[in-house]
Amino acid sequence: MPTRSAYLFLLPALVLYVAFVAIPIMQIIGFSLFDWDNGIRGDFVGMDNFARLGGDRVFWSALAHNAIWVVLTLAFPLMAGLLLAAILAERGNNTRRWLAAIYFIPRTIPLVVAGIIWGWIYNPLFGLLNYILEGIGLGFLAGAWLAEPGSALLSLNIVGAWTFFGFCVVIFLAAIQSIDPSLYEAAEIDGAEWWRKFRDITVPLLKNSTLFLGLYAAIEAMRFFDLIWVTTQGGPGYATEVLTTHIYKTFFLVGDFGYAAVLSVVLLIIVLSLSSISFWLLKSK
Amino acid sequence: MKCFSTIAAGAVLAAGSAAAETAITQWDQFAQSGITAAGPAMDELIASCKPALEGVSVLRTVAPSIGIRDSYRLAVSAGKTPDLAYTWPAASVLAGYARVGALAELDKYYDQYGWSQVNEFYKGRNSYEGHIYAVPMEQDLMGVYFNRDLFNDKGIAVPTTYAEFQAVAEAFKADGIVPVSFGNRDRWPATNTFSLILGLTVGLQAEQDVFFGDTPWTNAGFKQAAENFQAWANDEYFPRGFNGVGYDEANALFLSGRAAMTITGTWVLQDMIRGADKFDMGIFMMPPMADGVDAGTMWGEGSQWQLSSATSAEGQDAAAAYLNCLLSDESRKVWVQKGHTVTIGTTPAELADWGADPAVQEFFSGGLATAETNFYDLHTTLPESVTQVLYPELQRLVGGDASADEFLETMQAAWEVAIANGERWTP
Amino acid sequence: MNNLPRHSQTVVLIAFAIYALAPVYLIFLASMRSEADLFSGPLSVPWPINVDNYRRVWQESGFSVFFLNSLKISTSVTVLVVLCAPLAGFAFAKMQFKGREPLFALFLAGLVVPAPSIIVALYGNLQVLGMIDSHIGVILPQAALLMPFSVFLMRTVMQDVPDELIEASLMDGATFFETFIRVVVPVVRPGLMSLILIVFLFSWQEYLLPLVVLQTESLKPITVGAASLQGRYGVDYGGIAAAGLIAFAPLVVLFLIMQRSFVRGISAGAVK
Repeated sequence: MPTRSAYLFLLPALVLYVAFVAIPIMQIIGFSLFDWDNGIRGDFVGMDNFARLGGDRVFWSALAHNAIWVVLTLAFPLMAGLLLAAILAERGNNTRRWLAAIYFIPRTIPLVVAGIIWGWIYNPLFGLLNYILEGIGLGFLAGAWLAEPGSALLSLNIVGAWTFFGFCVVIFLAAIQSIDPSLYEAAEIDGAEWWRKFRDITVPLLKNSTLFLGLYAAIEAMRFFDLIWVTTQGGPGYATEVLTTHIYKTFFLVGDFGYAAVLSVVLLIIVLSLSSISFWLLKSK
Repeated sequence: MKCFSTIAAGAVLAAGSAAAETAITQWDQFAQSGITAAGPAMDELIASCKPALEGVSVLRTVAPSIGIRDSYRLAVSAGKTPDLAYTWPAASVLAGYARVGALAELDKYYDQYGWSQVNEFYKGRNSYEGHIYAVPMEQDLMGVYFNRDLFNDKGIAVPTTYAEFQAVAEAFKADGIVPVSFGNRDRWPATNTFSLILGLTVGLQAEQDVFFGDTPWTNAGFKQAAENFQAWANDEYFPRGFNGVGYDEANALFLSGRAAMTITGTWVLQDMIRGADKFDMGIFMMPPMADGVDAGTMWGEGSQWQLSSATSAEGQDAAAAYLNCLLSDESRKVWVQKGHTVTIGTTPAELADWGADPAVQEFFSGGLATAETNFYDLHTTLPESVTQVLYPELQRLVGGDASADEFLETMQAAWEVAIANGERWTP
Repeated sequence: MNNLPRHSQTVVLIAFAIYALAPVYLIFLASMRSEADLFSGPLSVPWPINVDNYRRVWQESGFSVFFLNSLKISTSVTVLVVLCAPLAGFAFAKMQFKGREPLFALFLAGLVVPAPSIIVALYGNLQVLGMIDSHIGVILPQAALLMPFSVFLMRTVMQDVPDELIEASLMDGATFFETFIRVVVPVVRPGLMSLILIVFLFSWQEYLLPLVVLQTESLKPITVGAASLQGRYGVDYGGIAAAGLIAFAPLVVLFLIMQRSFVRGISAGAVK
């Protein structure tokens, strides 16, 4: 039966959310349509601010980097998480729990601290990575990692993967454990070894979780900021610039409100589109 | 609901504390280590200048030198400008704050206290539309810190020409010692290095033609300077992966004896002197890098003291008296002796008299000798929007990902936009 | 033949365990070094072991203050969310009212909104409200940003509460609210526990909001403090490492103790 007290139940959450999230979103859309000077709003200019996007080389680089980040995240931590979960599913309870916990620990570390730690690992002068490479005779591979435009984004992605793969393991494990064991038993009777079982049973039945994690990874790839800011700040040059760092710099370092709002609108459109796609896809299961 | 009661409570508390004794908030950069580490001097002077405040107390926050620039901007846009701040840069950024009315005019205090050491050049950099808004204090110079022991071991003499400098760098490189320590992960160090190279390649007049005149960035002199900078990187004068090395790490590399030289400024004299305890450290001035260019160095006023326009009249008067004490002759001595910081107006003779550290004396006698031809520090002279383009573009230039032409074209484009927006500062 | 895959599987498991733990071990080692060890090889165990870094960072660098700030902010955010989200989740799960679907969709849309995208307007609003440079200016937006996930989680959890239980309570004359408190909350306690842990974790990790909103040093939480230590202490890696460890050790301990709760909360949305 419809009841009015429902609205009272909703009120606290709704008020907070509307006040500090929904309203700012509306405001940002509004801001992007005006001309600004140093924090003071000027004339209405409609879509003129958006026209700057076309010629903004940094914006397109940032967008490309966000896209590359998504692809890398799908390729490595997601796949690794799936593999690890499938392996762990067949191990003993304790092994499973403790290894999954170990894999998840990086997720509990604030990205800022992760950036500091990995910044040291990658440090060209005294970092661990170069030290190990030189120690095992692979010194010619030693490089500047975060300092080279060619390797900076990839190096940072390995840090992102480090925090993400444990999360994937946990999700996949939970999903695997809801698969009917008799399916595996039937396959074993047929003589299928581990890899066949993984490929023919596990993977297809985990489509849902894979989809969820894939979209989650895509959305996270648009949102993250901390890791880049504390390590390279978008550099060297623009090699690790992403939408969020571009917004931060435009707003806080240059003070260009109007254009920062435009970039924010673009970011919002992208993440909202991605989440709409994901809900539509997941709903139609 | 819960939100509003909290705000109400906060308002009552704030009103209550305002009725108590007057206090002014002070933000400064004088930490105990790192950049501008004149903490010991500031601590002593806070105590000795207390009487000048006549009962007004100081709530002090020490902010990191690089970060204070952004923190201050955030504070101004939040309407929470600290009463007194020792921040940077001056020129166009200071003018921006003055334009939005965040700063108190200091004309009357200049009249009252004199402050004659602040000459026309400095006054210009701290003014906006005919009024003066800040009191510069430090003199900042750039030079080459070098490891005299390493030089002597190899029988290498201090270079007096650019060709000699290049030979020196090659000699160290051949021996497996990093010639010039440099770390540009934080993006701003390259701006200083480039400022020095630019001035020594084109000279003061050519800089003024571009920054205050109509000459574009894309001129032959600037191109030569950009190529010189790039050549240093290509010729491997810098440590491997320098775009990923932090400024402090690069200094530590030099101080550990693994690099022969490092090219930076007087703002880390404190750290360098403290850290160079295992070897003999000296300073020389970088020679001109092109024919017909006068000797000189990059010269700026470091940071400046600014007062908030929102501070009460009583607070402003107290702050001005306090500043006057901080700039007095007795205080200048403390700055030099306890903080290795040379304030405007201090002469090399005084430095010798006061027993300043030999490195300090070496630096300032070298740098002040060319006072007429010293040139600008780019990221304290350029508008903010241009500086934010300069940072990544320099990383690309030095990293070899952009040619000198591309670099200058990008800078010229950003420069034109800034001028069109009225952001340019002229003295 | 069948054992070969199993051995290489074990290798894979161990390799990833090293990948996960090596950096943590490194920072632990680094936190016991003194400044002189900077260039002496990252893997060398420092000798003598120097735990002075912790004491120094805690007392002199003000980390005790940063830590307490994080504790205060994260606890406040968690309390606020726990007061708001379960109620909303219950309403969406078990109550009928007009606009239920659209309102839920409104919340869901917020699931993906990142702080950097709204900071431009949020900052101005906080200024007007006088909340800049205060903890409340961080607590309220954080709670708001975490609300969609929390409401979603709570709805999922509440959906599993048997309808009969609720109907029985209503039949006995209790209001929805009384039913909620007396019947539903005890049943969903594990889900609530998960919510508390996840919200606390996310709030503790937050960096951008406090970076931008808080100017006074003594108000800053541990994430901002740890990052700013890099600027202030340059190459004092022992100190920075100690600071980093203080910043995340509580979270790791909390997670390890309450693993099951965490995992349940995270999987709840994904696996459905």
